[in-house]
Amino acid sequence: MNALKDPPVKPVRGRGPTFITRFLESRHLGWAGLAAGLVAPFVIATPYAMNVMTSAVIFVMLAVGLNIVVGYCGLLDLGYAAFFAVGAYTSGVLSTELKLPLLATVPLVIVATVIAGIVIGGPTLRLRSDYLAIVTLGFGEIIRIVANNLDITGGPSGIYGIPGLLGDATSEPVVFYYAVLLIVAVAVLLAARLGRSRLGRAWRFVREDEDAAEAMGVHTYKVKLAAYIAGAVWGGLAGVLFAAQLSAISPASFTFLQSALMAVVLGGMGSTPGVVLGAIVISLLPEVLRGLADYRFFVFGVLLIIMMIVRPQGLWPHRSRER
Amino acid sequence: MKKALLGVTAAAIALSTSACGQGLLGGDSKKDKGPILLGMDIPLSGSSADIGPDMKNGAQMAIDEINAKGGVLGRKLQLRAEDDACDPKTAVAAANKLVAAGVAASVGGYCSGATLPTLPVFDRAKIPMIIPAANSTELVAQKLRHVFLVNGTGDQQAAAAMAWVTKGGAKKVALIHDNTSYSKDIAVRTAAELDKPGGPDKATLDAVNPGESDYSANVTNVLKSSPDFIYWTGYYQEGGLLLRQLRQAGYKGKFMVADGSVDAKLVKIAGDKATDGTFATMTQTPDTIQGAENWISGYKQKFDADPGPYSTQSYDAVRVAAEAIKDAGGTDGDKVVKALEGINGFQIFSGPLKFTPQHTLTNGGFVILVVKNGKFVLQDALK
Amino acid sequence: MSQLIWNGLFVGSFYALVALGYSMVYGVIKLLNFAHGDLYMLGAFSGFAMLGAMGGLIKSSSLVALFVVLILTMIATGLSGVVIERVAYRPLRGAPRLSVLITAVGASFALEYGTRIVAGPNPKVYPVRLDGTSLNVLGARVTLQQIALMAVSVVLMVALNLLITRTREGRAMRAIALDPKTCLLMGIDVDRVIARTFFIGSALAGAAGVMAGGYYGKIDFLMGFIIGLKAFTAAVIGGIGNIPGTMLGGLVLGLLESFGTHWVGGEWRDVFAFGFLILFLTVRPTGLLGERVTERV
Repeated sequence: MNALKDPPVKPVRGRGPTFITRFLESRHLGWAGLAAGLVAPFVIATPYAMNVMTSAVIFVMLAVGLNIVVGYCGLLDLGYAAFFAVGAYTSGVLSTELKLPLLATVPLVIVATVIAGIVIGGPTLRLRSDYLAIVTLGFGEIIRIVANNLDITGGPSGIYGIPGLLGDATSEPVVFYYAVLLIVAVAVLLAARLGRSRLGRAWRFVREDEDAAEAMGVHTYKVKLAAYIAGAVWGGLAGVLFAAQLSAISPASFTFLQSALMAVVLGGMGSTPGVVLGAIVISLLPEVLRGLADYRFFVFGVLLIIMMIVRPQGLWPHRSRER
Repeated sequence: MKKALLGVTAAAIALSTSACGQGLLGGDSKKDKGPILLGMDIPLSGSSADIGPDMKNGAQMAIDEINAKGGVLGRKLQLRAEDDACDPKTAVAAANKLVAAGVAASVGGYCSGATLPTLPVFDRAKIPMIIPAANSTELVAQKLRHVFLVNGTGDQQAAAAMAWVTKGGAKKVALIHDNTSYSKDIAVRTAAELDKPGGPDKATLDAVNPGESDYSANVTNVLKSSPDFIYWTGYYQEGGLLLRQLRQAGYKGKFMVADGSVDAKLVKIAGDKATDGTFATMTQTPDTIQGAENWISGYKQKFDADPGPYSTQSYDAVRVAAEAIKDAGGTDGDKVVKALEGINGFQIFSGPLKFTPQHTLTNGGFVILVVKNGKFVLQDALK
Repeated sequence: MSQLIWNGLFVGSFYALVALGYSMVYGVIKLLNFAHGDLYMLGAFSGFAMLGAMGGLIKSSSLVALFVVLILTMIATGLSGVVIERVAYRPLRGAPRLSVLITAVGASFALEYGTRIVAGPNPKVYPVRLDGTSLNVLGARVTLQQIALMAVSVVLMVALNLLITRTREGRAMRAIALDPKTCLLMGIDVDRVIARTFFIGSALAGAAGVMAGGYYGKIDFLMGFIIGLKAFTAAVIGGIGNIPGTMLGGLVLGLLESFGTHWVGGEWRDVFAFGFLILFLTVRPTGLLGERVTERV
């Protein structure tokens, strides 16, 4: 009878979510981030800052693409750089051989990356995740070595003299930065939208429990292939932007080490805002800590282990909207 | 409401800071007074990290010498070195950093693959590049006016190799490279020379997979073509292993390496017995130039280390840059480029300097070295 | 031709030795230890460090020194393997596959770049070299050193097979491979057995590392990366989880590479090897001798 005064379980007294927490978890975080990106050149616009920011934005695109494969669908693709390479080289070779501006090569890049996704995904997606990881790594190496050995890809020297996105006007650093920011913002939005769609839900189902998904009527193979192809297209387009930025590409840029895996794991697999933030951090860190370059990969390795043991959902995990 | 609040706060912060200097609405950062900055993109970390410090020291030595004599046009020289980690993306960021710092000229560049993407960055900023080490043909293939190489090019090295091979009376020459751009370039060009009628013939052109330990397949392949002379154009890590395995397989003919393998470690990896008598095509280095002992001891005293393979080229690059700036009467990019093109007879380690129309050295300065008692010494100056 | 075969077998024996550790660990805890190749590298480096410390003793009896170092390195790498398992893999025993795989990648990076920080980025040269007189056997040039190394590999592999099939420890390993939970119920200390599996597998990789260092002479911190991939390929070709199969897979891979580079050229060597990996996984995922079906469950 005195339930109100003497409840059986002591009520927890705590503070509600703070402003910071609400801010970090709000859906407006993304828009705030975009606003920051748009306004940043007004604060600092030296060629160096523009270069670093553009690189960071391109890396964000790469990370978001990898997130579709690893984060949404749970496929550990260690050879993701292969798609990055396919995109960069396709646009590079076409634009230098046929003297086209890079934007004109995009349709062919999409075709090439879809084919690459099917060729690589085809045999490997039937395999268990451990095998998948190593085989995709093997594929990544194959693509890199092929690019290194063939003459059409320029051999070890690679391709140089790659034109800008739309002729010389877009080579101006600030203009290029805004163009890239816009393209990547759209790509990130699309990826997030894809994650919330029915296909995205199927991906998450496959990631959680593939056999249950299969039993519930989800065509796991097709779903996985769709994730792979989507990831391939995103990676390939990031490659086009990369080629535009550097104007010269060589096999050295597409090794296993250039993987965005660190960014995805740090930010939170499957969480788009997390991955974006993780990518920005991972991209800016080497520039900020230029003196500690030699320790970078060691720290990455240790961090991966720690993250997986202590906080596998990442620093900014996906906040499920389905209650 | 919250969204609007966020947006307004962000905008307010941004606009209030945008007036500060380096934003879009800020000012320019070109330097016309004070020290003349020379920028240097070199590998200080990553795969070629041991080369960078030697290049930096060589450059610093030249800068200190010139400053002691009063500097250039009354202004002191200052070195600004940035790490390119032999990676294209890092190199472009480093180049942009140098441009933002207002350098008058770039005197760096070791890995051709990493230097190539920095060309448009310096080009846009109208900053001349005097590249001391990177020497792949792609660097000059784009015919950018501001790019100058002070290291002998691939075809000059191939020509030197050809000259020596012919002089030595070789009959069949096998060429091995490691499928990286500089190495393949030299091998392919030498092969083209060998294919011309008359003189030594090409036995075979083979490539190894760098980073491996076991080259028995390549050894078998190459020996099958019965060469009496083998030219390896890659680096010492693979070169040492290859040489050792070739000798173990019973190869008794002559062996020559390109400048990437000229390193004491080649002897260590291959073993003294295998390396003795090995030739090398190499640009002039302090130990092979008469009268350079002073330079070497000066270097050792200053930096407490032995000069590296590209210390002299970096030293020369700075001197060439300083000379050009002096001739141009200022740091205006176009004027300096014109001055560089006009240099005639300025003495650098590889001989009197005059740039070809392609902005490479007229005189590659390649000589032939040989390994005697575990060290590389001059064999033939190929004059 | 016979030279190609001999070359292939020799390289293959290294692949087989490393692949065995891979296969064993996979057999017991179903984990592809991505960091396994780096244990090969650790073995090479610890051997280098030990030989350096031994200094003057080496000149007098280099082969004996190498042998002693081999044993010591095997113990050292074995222990390293156990430590890695304890630190990186055991906490994630129940976690989803993806987490464990990522941890393994992290362990690999940490080992590679940790070694780089300690030993420097430049390759090192082994102070003891196995140089030698060569014989001519059926048209192939064979050195005594090569025969010695292969003999050591064979002895190790046979010892391993005996361990797995004849001893109680081996039985425990095979039991855990089939059903870990029941093993717990049956009183098998699963943790200890897994630790021992890691010890043995890592020790084998370390042995291969020291032998490679002594034979080829040059070691660098990235030498484990490619070996790890090749070892995996060898295990797949032979049948992962299957000891004789893995041994066979190593030899087969060595032969394939030897002939492959002869036909296609040295620069395609890795493409050739991985091409075969993909081929086998698509066409015959159980491998040549595999009895295990690739279960999706």
